[in-house]
Amino acid sequence: MKETRLGEFEEVILLLVGILEEDAYAFKISDEFEAQTGRSVSIGAVHSTLNRLSEKGFLNSEMGASSPERGGRRKRIYTITALGHRVLTEAKDFRVSLWNQFPGLANG
Amino acid sequence: MVKKNNTPPKLAERLLLWFLKEQLAEEVLGDLNEKFYSEAANGSLRRAKLNYWHQVIHYLRPFAIKSISSKTQNTMLIHHLKIGLRSIRSSKSYSIINISGLALGLASFLFIMLWVNDELQMDNFHSKSQQLYNVYQTIEEQSGNLNGSPNTPLSNAGALLLDSAESEIPEVKMVNHYATGYEFPWGFPKTFRRGKKLFKLSGSRASPNFFKMFDYTVIAGSKQAAIKDISSIAISRKMALLFFDSPEEAIGKSLNYENNLDFQVQAVFEDAPQHSSLEFDYLINIENQILHKVEWASHKIITTYLLEEGAKPNQVSQKLNAYLANRQDESSGKNIRIGLQPFKDQYLVSGFDNGKPANGKMAYVKLFIAVAIFILIVACINFMNLSTARSVKKGKEVAVRKVVGSSKGLLVQQFLSEFLLMTLMAFFLAILIVFSLLPAFNQFTGKQIELPITELWFWGSLLILAFITSFAAGAYPSLFLSALIPAKTLKGAVRFSNRSRFFQKGLVVFQFCLSILLLIATVVFTWQTNYISNSHLGYNKENLIYLRIEGNLNSKYNLLRKRLTNMPGIAMVDRSSEAPHAMNFEVSDPINWEGKEDGQIVNFKPVSVGFDFTKIMGLQVVEGRTFNRNIASDSNAFMVNEMALNEMGIKDPIGKWISAWEKKGRIIGVIKDFHTHSFRQKIKPLVIDVKEDLYFGEIIVRTEVGKTKEALASMEQIFEEINPDYPFNYQFLDTEYMKLYKSEETVSKLCNLFAGLAIIISCLGLLGLSMFSAQQRTKEMGIRKVLGANMTHIITKFSQEFIVLVALAFLITTPLAWLLMNHWLQGFAYRIDLSWWIFALAGLVIVSITLLTVSFQSYKVAMVNPARTLRSE
Repeated sequence: MKETRLGEFEEVILLLVGILEEDAYAFKISDEFEAQTGRSVSIGAVHSTLNRLSEKGFLNSEMGASSPERGGRRKRIYTITALGHRVLTEAKDFRVSLWNQFPGLANG
Repeated sequence: MVKKNNTPPKLAERLLLWFLKEQLAEEVLGDLNEKFYSEAANGSLRRAKLNYWHQVIHYLRPFAIKSISSKTQNTMLIHHLKIGLRSIRSSKSYSIINISGLALGLASFLFIMLWVNDELQMDNFHSKSQQLYNVYQTIEEQSGNLNGSPNTPLSNAGALLLDSAESEIPEVKMVNHYATGYEFPWGFPKTFRRGKKLFKLSGSRASPNFFKMFDYTVIAGSKQAAIKDISSIAISRKMALLFFDSPEEAIGKSLNYENNLDFQVQAVFEDAPQHSSLEFDYLINIENQILHKVEWASHKIITTYLLEEGAKPNQVSQKLNAYLANRQDESSGKNIRIGLQPFKDQYLVSGFDNGKPANGKMAYVKLFIAVAIFILIVACINFMNLSTARSVKKGKEVAVRKVVGSSKGLLVQQFLSEFLLMTLMAFFLAILIVFSLLPAFNQFTGKQIELPITELWFWGSLLILAFITSFAAGAYPSLFLSALIPAKTLKGAVRFSNRSRFFQKGLVVFQFCLSILLLIATVVFTWQTNYISNSHLGYNKENLIYLRIEGNLNSKYNLLRKRLTNMPGIAMVDRSSEAPHAMNFEVSDPINWEGKEDGQIVNFKPVSVGFDFTKIMGLQVVEGRTFNRNIASDSNAFMVNEMALNEMGIKDPIGKWISAWEKKGRIIGVIKDFHTHSFRQKIKPLVIDVKEDLYFGEIIVRTEVGKTKEALASMEQIFEEINPDYPFNYQFLDTEYMKLYKSEETVSKLCNLFAGLAIIISCLGLLGLSMFSAQQRTKEMGIRKVLGANMTHIITKFSQEFIVLVALAFLITTPLAWLLMNHWLQGFAYRIDLSWWIFALAGLVIVSITLLTVSFQSYKVAMVNPARTLRSE
């Protein structure tokens, strides 16, 4: 059986793919990651994670358009699959349920 | 900024493309380009480029790298190995010959290199090794001859200089003088006593600086005080444990020396390590020797300087010579210069050539490095020839592979991996051989070599060696095999071009040149060693025992002689001032004779003996008579040998007067020349007188043939009676004599071994080549048979080819071997002649081994029924 748990970094990348929609390819995702978190990351690391998420079935990908600054090379655009959506929702629900049990926050 | 160089770094891109999976290349390159341009727009170009590198390196992840995870590559590698293993297994005899040949070669190489490495380690363990220099003298005689000597006697003009070098030459930080107490001609193990404990130990004399300059570990007591004054002694752990329970307990205790002096133990040091060429069980201050409190062992004193860090030995020796120039004794007619030799070289470079350090054991080390490389080359050539010969069988396989679409590169890869597999097996076997035979090898060479298995360099160099050998041995066959043309190969047998046959034959000739060279060297070495040990020395060295004169042995000599002579097993007793096989004392000035010309210099060996010396030694008197106890004037008489007569230049010597120091007397007889020392040197003039009251020297006992045991028992009894304060300690003359040639013997033994191995390996190669040739020439021989050739004819025809090769090798090698051997023999004053039969013998051996090796194949060829070989076409 395939591993279906989601690590923290994986979760963030998955969310970023959702946010970026049409622009979800490795370079943009790593750029966005740096912008959002302030942490630096190599494209290779992001690519490797995208690859892993695809293997788990959370992402689909297909080759997209090319542009001159890429030297005419196409990019691989990632999209979240239904399974990916469900895993993200489950992760969010799990956190919300944990937050709800947190007494320091329950009473505002 | 000019848009000139603002593209991503090309090298990084190439690196990326080299390792990246092909299907990822487009997207990744695109992403990295975008990253690069966005970085370049935001900041400097340099940073963008650096970042590009950074990104490339971060793509070194399992998911992105091609080769290792690439399935086809893996499959090919596994395929190669599998095919390799199968082909090794499928022809067992060939594989065994090939692998064991290479393994033998490698094992010999490893053994020799271990030996060489061990020799080079000598005296290399001192931490200040780079700054330690030995002083040597270059003495220019009136004749212009240059003599070198490691000796730095303190009593000549240089003495002042050598002692005060510390204060006169700023670069010299410390000075040490070292002399042994056990070397010839007068040295011997000294007797130490504490209470009832008596032991004989060999030690040396040195300056107080000794322990500061050299790294001999002091384990108890103090380094500074170790030999600070003439009553101090430093002893080894071994010696401490002989007398005391522990090293610590020894400190401050006193030990009696030769029943004469008392020394206080100030330090105990760890036994001298095996890589130390200085050997000593104890050390005392050298002042003892200079003040004549203890006796000199030899005139040899080694002076070592500790130079300042970074000081240049050339400059220092120049300063020393400038200082020495004004202080030389002009009347001696000699001109002495001083040179410095690295201390660590003193063991290997022990000889002198034209006044400069040269030769010595270094010659053997170089010789053996050459032998090791020879053997490795022979083994590699062997491997090449056998592998190429095998291609007859492989030809079809190659052709089919090519037809199916295999590329040349892939074929080379496949064969290389097969050969690599074989070399690795050979390596494994070689290490196994070395590992299991190392104890025997150590015994053989008298060393204590251990495999440095914990050292990284050892494994590193093994790995490099493995790759070099597998490449050297495997490259040619792989290229050769992969170049076969399928159409031709599939049609018939593999045909070799003239060029490749010539190359193979050339290799065989070269291989045999090396083997023949080794063989001739072995024959010469063995012959010379035998010549030394078996040739008549001029006296009978069997059944002679000698013992040091000490304690009461001199004062009670007459009693001892009478008592011993009456005991069972003992034939005769006499004495001599030096052991008969090692008379090393030489003088010229104190000897004068009737008719000596002014300025005539003859170096004599003066020796004082007992009345029966010529009888006990079996020496031949050629003129006059020998000493006679009953003639009173004979205690003042002299005998000389023929060489002395010759050099003194006198005729009718009997009755002429001769003098040695204060003693003057008549010559009563002339002795036939006999060898008084190593065969390396010529027999020297000898002058003999009788002194039966010398406090030093040796007692010589001749035992009756076959009664050595009884003789020893009798001797022990008498000696304990007469000389109870000293342990009974004796030497057999013939054994001691052979010890003078230890290094020659080791070399000759090693040469025998390795020459044998080289020949075996070469023969394996020849066997392979004859197998190959047999396959090539089946048809030819078949036709010959059909046309009426008989078996003898076929065998001769077949063997001819190889005999020609070996004969060619023999012709090439012989002159070279003659030159080399002649050069080596020049080192001996008495040597065998390099007569033609030595070479003839080597040639005969090689040719018969060749015939024997080839005959197996040739017989097979001759026996085959021609109908079978000619049937298919």
